[in-house]
Amino acid sequence: MERRDFIKISALSGVMATLEGCRSAEKQLIRFIPEEELIPGIATIKPGVCTVCSAGCGLLVRVMQGEAEVVRHGQQGLIKMGLAKKLEGNPQHPVNQGKLCARGQASLQMLYHPDRITHPIKRTGPRGSGEFQAISWDDALKEVSAHLGTLQASGSANSLGFLSRPLSGQQGELMTKFLKAYGAPPPVWYQPFDEAVLRQANLFSFGHAALPTFDLHLADYVICFGADFLGTWNSPVAQSISYGEMRQGRPGRRAKLVQVETRMSQTGANADEWIACRPGMEGVLALGIAHVILAEKLAPQAPGSRPGSLIDGWQAGLPEYAPEAVEKQTGVSVAVIKRLAHELAQSGLAVAMIGGPPLAHTNGLFNALAVNALESLVDKSSILSFTPQTGDAAPVQATLAALHTLSAQPPQMLLLYEANPVFSAPPATRVREALAKIPYIVSFGSFIDETSVQADLILPDHAALESWIDSVAESGSSRAVASLAPPAVLPLHDTRPMPDVLLGLGRQLGGEVAKALPWATYDAMLRAAFVPLRTRPGSIDVKTDDDFWDAAQTQGGWWSSPSTSPPLAAVKRAPLSAASPQFAGAAADFPFYFLPYVSQSFADGSLAHLPWLQELPDVLTSAMWSSWVEINPNTGDRLGIKQGDLVEIASQQGSVRAAAVLSPGIAPDMVAMPVGQGHENFTRFASGRGANPLSILAPLTEQETGSLAWAATRVKLVRAGGPEQAKLVLFAGGMSAFPHEQERR
Amino acid sequence: MQPTAEQIEQDLLRPLFHSSGKYWVAVAIAASLLLAGVAAFGYQLYAGIGVWGLNSPVFWAFDITNFVFWIGISHAGTLISAILRLTNATWRRPVTRCAEAITVFSVLIGAIIPLCHIGRPWLAYWMIPYPSERHIWPNFRSPLAWDFFAISTYLTGSTTFLYLPTIPDFAAVRDVSTGLRKKIYRVLALGWQGTPRQWQRLEVAMHIMAVVIVPVAVSVHTIVSWDFAMTLVPMWHSSIFGPYFVAGAIFSGIAALILAMALLRKFLHLEQYLRPIHFENLGKLLLTMSLLWFYFTFAERLTAWYGNSPPEMAVFWESIRKHFAPLFWTMVVCNFIIPVPILAIKRLRTITGTAIASATVVVGMWLERFLIVVPALEHKFLPYSWGTYRPTWVEDTLMASSFGMMALLYLLFSKFVPMISIWEMKVGLQSHGGVPMVAPAEGHVVLEGPQ
Amino acid sequence: MAHKWGMVVDLDRCTGCEACVVACHAENNIPTAGEDQAARGRAKHWIRVERYWEGDFPNPRVRFQPVLCQQCDEAPCEPVCPTYASYHTPEGLNSQVYNRCIGTRFCANACPYNVRFFNFYNPAWDKPLQLQLNPDVSVRSVGVMEKCTFCVQRIKAAEIQAEAEKRELKDGEFTTACAQSCPSKALIFGDLNDSASEVARLASSNRGTKLLGELGTKPNVTYLERGTWEDATHG
Repeated sequence: MERRDFIKISALSGVMATLEGCRSAEKQLIRFIPEEELIPGIATIKPGVCTVCSAGCGLLVRVMQGEAEVVRHGQQGLIKMGLAKKLEGNPQHPVNQGKLCARGQASLQMLYHPDRITHPIKRTGPRGSGEFQAISWDDALKEVSAHLGTLQASGSANSLGFLSRPLSGQQGELMTKFLKAYGAPPPVWYQPFDEAVLRQANLFSFGHAALPTFDLHLADYVICFGADFLGTWNSPVAQSISYGEMRQGRPGRRAKLVQVETRMSQTGANADEWIACRPGMEGVLALGIAHVILAEKLAPQAPGSRPGSLIDGWQAGLPEYAPEAVEKQTGVSVAVIKRLAHELAQSGLAVAMIGGPPLAHTNGLFNALAVNALESLVDKSSILSFTPQTGDAAPVQATLAALHTLSAQPPQMLLLYEANPVFSAPPATRVREALAKIPYIVSFGSFIDETSVQADLILPDHAALESWIDSVAESGSSRAVASLAPPAVLPLHDTRPMPDVLLGLGRQLGGEVAKALPWATYDAMLRAAFVPLRTRPGSIDVKTDDDFWDAAQTQGGWWSSPSTSPPLAAVKRAPLSAASPQFAGAAADFPFYFLPYVSQSFADGSLAHLPWLQELPDVLTSAMWSSWVEINPNTGDRLGIKQGDLVEIASQQGSVRAAAVLSPGIAPDMVAMPVGQGHENFTRFASGRGANPLSILAPLTEQETGSLAWAATRVKLVRAGGPEQAKLVLFAGGMSAFPHEQERR
Repeated sequence: MQPTAEQIEQDLLRPLFHSSGKYWVAVAIAASLLLAGVAAFGYQLYAGIGVWGLNSPVFWAFDITNFVFWIGISHAGTLISAILRLTNATWRRPVTRCAEAITVFSVLIGAIIPLCHIGRPWLAYWMIPYPSERHIWPNFRSPLAWDFFAISTYLTGSTTFLYLPTIPDFAAVRDVSTGLRKKIYRVLALGWQGTPRQWQRLEVAMHIMAVVIVPVAVSVHTIVSWDFAMTLVPMWHSSIFGPYFVAGAIFSGIAALILAMALLRKFLHLEQYLRPIHFENLGKLLLTMSLLWFYFTFAERLTAWYGNSPPEMAVFWESIRKHFAPLFWTMVVCNFIIPVPILAIKRLRTITGTAIASATVVVGMWLERFLIVVPALEHKFLPYSWGTYRPTWVEDTLMASSFGMMALLYLLFSKFVPMISIWEMKVGLQSHGGVPMVAPAEGHVVLEGPQ
Repeated sequence: MAHKWGMVVDLDRCTGCEACVVACHAENNIPTAGEDQAARGRAKHWIRVERYWEGDFPNPRVRFQPVLCQQCDEAPCEPVCPTYASYHTPEGLNSQVYNRCIGTRFCANACPYNVRFFNFYNPAWDKPLQLQLNPDVSVRSVGVMEKCTFCVQRIKAAEIQAEAEKRELKDGEFTTACAQSCPSKALIFGDLNDSASEVARLASSNRGTKLLGELGTKPNVTYLERGTWEDATHG
């Protein structure tokens, strides 16, 4: 170095050092060299995949340069990096076609959440105390490796468990392969509102163990039994898109929506006709309608192997389901049953749908098969179809049984990934006690929640937007859809992607596991899975695998060319007869049906940590940051409960307290509560807030599938205090702290 | 036994030179209230105006209520003083300065409140029309800009109207003072020697001010009422607001004046000067205003009710029978049901009686302002976004401190300026018949003839 | 011809999903009030979905109504602002100039739609949530009024881009955050002066009404009425 240059440099650094010293201590953070090239002020749009629900919508992520405080090599500093600013739907994506729901929009806050786990941590205090301390990745991985190795060596490989939220795509594949090669049982895919009943029903009725797709934009008449398809059920964005078209997208043609529910949902609010049906009797109602259609020959009957054959008595015209008998059981009048039958049969293209609470009864499968039968009777043009799959369908799994197994035979080591059964499983499953019996628990999730706080070691995953993501759409499109996105932004914290960690552990273990997972990185595994799609007619038409892989990353995935839907064929099995829904709790002691429902803001509770969603006013009650119990106003009068009062609802399993909201959309003998609040431990925004309705659910199951019958609990209701104690926060009509009588307008 | 000219001077100058312990206690209390307000305001600047109870959609509440209240109080002073001067009502003489002082101080307080209630008070000066670096003038279409001009005009005018007649009294104080006090009052007296030419100029100036201040006062409160009436808010958008507010202002102002006079009479021992006849006459005026207030209120509510427009009826019922009903009916009791019998029955129209009636009117008129502002904002056109309001301790403190400030200014005023106009009382001695007056001392020219 | 920005809200398509509400928060740096402030009535939802109940069980009905700044031609909020912070742009927007606002809050009182929101405190974000903030949108300080701007930052960006490329703006080339996210396409944004645009076509629909149109505010948001409703007749 020339002396001149040396003087220049030292002078410059001297000046800089002095200037730095003049600034506040905070600004004396080191500046790291940027790890990517970005032009300030210019946005780059990158593809993404939404992971918040099973729909798997395609995203566009708006990335702009900004400055973030990060820790690199143990040192705090500032770095200019690409920051995700906004999520939009990917217009090219067949499922969501450029649109995105509220929860998808809010998912952006997961990336920059203040309570994200930013580096590996090891438990120091007792289990569940939340006392952790930092541990380096090397040490953490050594420890896990050692445990895995020991377990395998001691012949207890089958005592490794993996409890994860359902993952479609290669992440799930990776876990499955890992466990299989290791010698462990397959992963337990846990979610509180699993769709095992519907998948099973669709397998029986139509030959596809999958969630259905609905081309509502072709319909003239939709009768929906319980599914909140415009809200949270199945593929809400895709369904909303086609709903919009069904209303006003075809000049001169507007479809009618009839919603059959026990409690008015967001979807029900949009119905032209809303029909209150007794809980668990939706199948009977559907068959009552079918009876009229068959009896009056309003629609052509098709032979043999139609879904109707799964219902006992179908061939004979459903004699047990005459309108008078159905009226007694369902509460829906004969006149309405007949009218619906006529409208359905004679309204051009019709479809019958079922989802949500009707399936969450002990007779849920029967209800589903009944509606499927009605559907095949009236749906002349396959408005209901199934999304072609790129691979084999996953087996239907009822997770309650798996949790019982976990309780009964706790594994020696448990890997956890973003499943929270301590919060959402019914108390009778005793998950917390089961976890206490497991010697070693490792969690890969990004947040401390009721379940991950029980872990001994946490190896935090990247956020979704920092990861390679792929997902296969189970429903919501007539094309096969395999979504794919490389990371949209560089990692903010000292986290590592879970798939890569598993691959690394596999390499460490060697043997069968390493052989089963030969890829160095997860994206290599993804590439291997995607590349075979090149030869199928689809959205990417290139000659080489490399080009295909590049194009798939740029477009956000691959989807097949439009083709005929897979055919629907019912399986042959013994017909099912109606079973009455069973409820936990005698009506005399527990006079109300209890409906915990999937929340528009928090889904199953896994999104309660996002402030945008806490502040989002529930569209029917306008409540924010709150839990509430919906009660019919007459019930409120009878029990002396006013709007905003604190009430206690108690089942045989336990009790919860929340604010009362008087709602005309619920029957007098029913109370409903949104799921999602009541977290003990789930970041600053959700902890200690509200009440968890899932914590009082009875462990009743659907009798055929063993799926949790979450609508089968009965409760009693009593006033427990005034508005000052309930602290209901409403956006509409005044401050919660000083409520006064509100006009219902 | 009528007081002599010397006695008048002695009595009316005494408070300037001697103060009781009670006086200083009162000053201390008023000053601490004011300081509490300053502290609360400081806290508001530091933490943000969120420390108030305002919210969406109630963006004005205590702040504007107090603003209108104080501007309203200001009306009696100048209006009574001006009108009574113009109509040559000689009984006014002991009353005018008390009244004019109330006006100036309450306008001052009323002018300060908007400066404190805006979200960014440090930019309040943008209301001043000066060629700004931002290349825009204030929006002259805004009623708030009209407020700015009206209130600053009124403040200037009423200060002038207060000051002019005090000049001869400042001269009187100057003449009996020594040292620093003499220097100060010499400045304040503006070289007054009592020459005929000076008297003539004073009279002309006062006459002009009396004539001018009346329309200014009327326009000020009309413009303040247009802060509400110029919007479409249900129950605000009413053409009656202009006259309604002016009448209400005069009503509350007279009440405040009576209260002030009753207190002055007691604590400054002005029993010989502020006599039952003054309270009687002002009491009769108060009665008239109470009836007028009732008429306006009734007319406004009746037309709203008869029209039955849903947005208006929502606000209407809130006051009449729902959430604000207790406050509304308290207001009616305070403004009408209690005062009218007291003021109409001669036996009850004593000093104590009129003071009680005035006290209830002051409370009632504050409630009236509150009930105009808040129920309407709570219930505008879209029911989904209706709201509620509760004040916080910051707003309570600021309001209390406005009363503290008023009391403090008034107390200090009484220490530095004779509360009753000495020269006018002396002039009154000259008259025959009517209300007995006090003769001017030697050397003062009599300006007014027999009544 | 100059642009005139407008929006159509199709009440028959709106499902009440509130994707628009969250999209707007994300795009426009709207601070989250938190439970205490929300309880005191200070939550800021530039677009909200109003819900009105009619009837009782078993025949309850709900109407959803997304309400945002109507960008009125005769905006009652404009004449009352003493500092011209609320003013009408040549392209038909009611613009809120944050720098001019001294916080008299007169505009919010004058607005019949209750679509104006006030910053009662300085906004704060728990780190690192502030990394998500949109650099194209000002963060408003305490004492300043804010409201829906029709995503003016997107309008400006599109206009600048079109001018740089020496061409006209195309309908649908860009849209507001709320309209972009709305799955059922209930919100349509565009240039009312472009007779070929979708918003102009829909705004002239015979299902079209104006919210509180009788007040004479001349809103540039047209609401398309919901389809017919039939009662479920229980015997």
